[in-house]
Amino acid sequence: MIHVFTYHDKHYIYDTGSGALHECDEATARHLKGEPVAFTDEELKATLSDLAALKSSGLLDAPETNARPIKSNEVKALCLHVSHDCNLRCRYCFADEGAYHSVREVMSFETAKAAIDFLLRESGNRKVLEVDFFGGEPLMNLDVVKKTVYYAKEEGAKLGKKFLFTTTTNGLLLDDETIAFFNAEMENVVLSLDGRKQVHDEVRKTVNGKGSFDAVIEKIKRFVKARGDKHYYVRGTFTAKNLDFAKDVLFLADNGFDSISLEPVVTDIPDLQIREEHLPAIEREYELLADEYIKREAEGKGFLFFHFQIDLEGGPCLQKRVSACGAGNEYFSVVPCGDIYPCHQFAGDVNFKMGNVFEGKLDGALRAKFAESCLFTRKKCEGCFAKFICSGGCNANNYHYCGDINEPYPMTCAMMKKRIECAMHVLAERKSREK
Amino acid sequence: MIKTIAKPSEKKVTGCGECRSTCQSACKTSCTVGNQSCERVTREQKIERK
Repeated sequence: MIHVFTYHDKHYIYDTGSGALHECDEATARHLKGEPVAFTDEELKATLSDLAALKSSGLLDAPETNARPIKSNEVKALCLHVSHDCNLRCRYCFADEGAYHSVREVMSFETAKAAIDFLLRESGNRKVLEVDFFGGEPLMNLDVVKKTVYYAKEEGAKLGKKFLFTTTTNGLLLDDETIAFFNAEMENVVLSLDGRKQVHDEVRKTVNGKGSFDAVIEKIKRFVKARGDKHYYVRGTFTAKNLDFAKDVLFLADNGFDSISLEPVVTDIPDLQIREEHLPAIEREYELLADEYIKREAEGKGFLFFHFQIDLEGGPCLQKRVSACGAGNEYFSVVPCGDIYPCHQFAGDVNFKMGNVFEGKLDGALRAKFAESCLFTRKKCEGCFAKFICSGGCNANNYHYCGDINEPYPMTCAMMKKRIECAMHVLAERKSREK
Repeated sequence: MIKTIAKPSEKKVTGCGECRSTCQSACKTSCTVGNQSCERVTREQKIERK
C-alpha cells in the first residue's frame, strides 16, 4: 500500500510495505492518486520508469510484512502507582485528580518490594527491566520511591538484571535533594507542564483552586538545568481550550526546555474534550508547529518534540511494530494495595484487575486477551498507512472511547496520522539540509 | 522525478524483544511504537563507535 500526501508544496509517497519515504513532483503524486495529469509522452515515460525502478528495488508497492507479533511471557516493565494522591487538582486528570475513583492512599514499601519481586520473578531471561514511578504525584511518597530504587538495584544485581527507572511528576515538590536523587537514579523524568501560564493555570490547579504555573515553572527549570544530557521530557496536555497548542510547545522551547511532548487530552469533560469539529484546527496547528520546528532546527535552535521523532531508517523491527504496546502482557500497573492492572489507564477498573503482587499470579484469560491484541486484531487498521508506526494505538484509549481494546478511536487515528505526516516532512527537510 | 528520502536500514536482529516497553515513553496516552528505537541495534552501534 502507498500513501501519497502533500505538505505545503511538497509531495510524498510513503510505502507501508517497505517503510520507505519518497518525495515526488506534483504530477507524479496526482498520477499515483489516480487524478488526471496532462503528461507529455516523455514525462509519462520518465515517471513510469522511476516508479518501475522503485518497485523493482522493493521500495514501492512492496508486499507487507508477514511478521508475527513477538510472543513472550516475560514481564518487562511495571508502572508503580506509589501515590494515589496528588497535590494538584487538574481538571482533566484521567486518574480522578490522583485518587483513581477510590480512597487517597500511598503505596507502602512492602507492596513496592513485592512488586519488584514479582517483576524479577516474571522477567525470565530479560536483563533490562523498567520501573516507572507514577501517581497521583509520586513525590508525595518519595521515601518509598528511594527505598524501592535501592531495593530493586540490589536484588536485580544478584540476578544480573539492570533496572531503568522513570518518574512522572508535576514538579511541585522538586527540591535540590530530589533533583540530585533523580539525576543519580532516574533514566528518564517526565515533568508535567502544559505551556503558557494562562493555559496551564486554566486546568492545572492547586488543592486551593489556584493555578499552579508559578509554583512549578522555576522548579522545573532548575531541574532541567541540573539534568545535563540525561533524558527528560516536559510533557503537557492540550485541550479544546488551547487548540493553538503550537504556541505552548514553542513557549516551552523558548523557556529552555529542549525535550517536549504535548498530548491531546483524554477526557469527556465537555469544555475540555477534543471533538471532531476541532480536527481541522488541530491539523493546522501540527503543521504550524512542524514549520517552526524545521525553521528552528535549520537555525541551530532545534528542540525535540516527541511525536516528530519517527525514525524510518532505524526504529523498532517489524515484529515489534505489529505487537502493539505490550500492556497487560509485558507491562503492568500496580496500585497502592498491590493489585495489578494492564496499564495505568485501566487502574481501578475491577473488570481489568489481573492479580495482586502478594499473590503473584496473573489472570491467564485476561493476559491472553492482551497478549493476542496486536495490529492484526485491529481490523480497522488494515487499510491504514500509519499502521506499522502506531501499531493500532493505545489499548486503553481504544477501550475507553470505543469499548474494545481492538477498536481504534477515529479521532486519535486522525491526529496520529497528521503527526506522522508532519514527522515525515520534518525528516525530509532535515535530510535535504544534510545534503 | 522521485527521490528516496529514507528507507529502513538492514538489521541483523528482529523479534528479539529487547526493546523497551512502549508505554515507558514520554506520553503515556499516545504511545507510538514507531517512535521507539531498537535497543539491540542501538547497543551494537554504540560498541562499534567505541
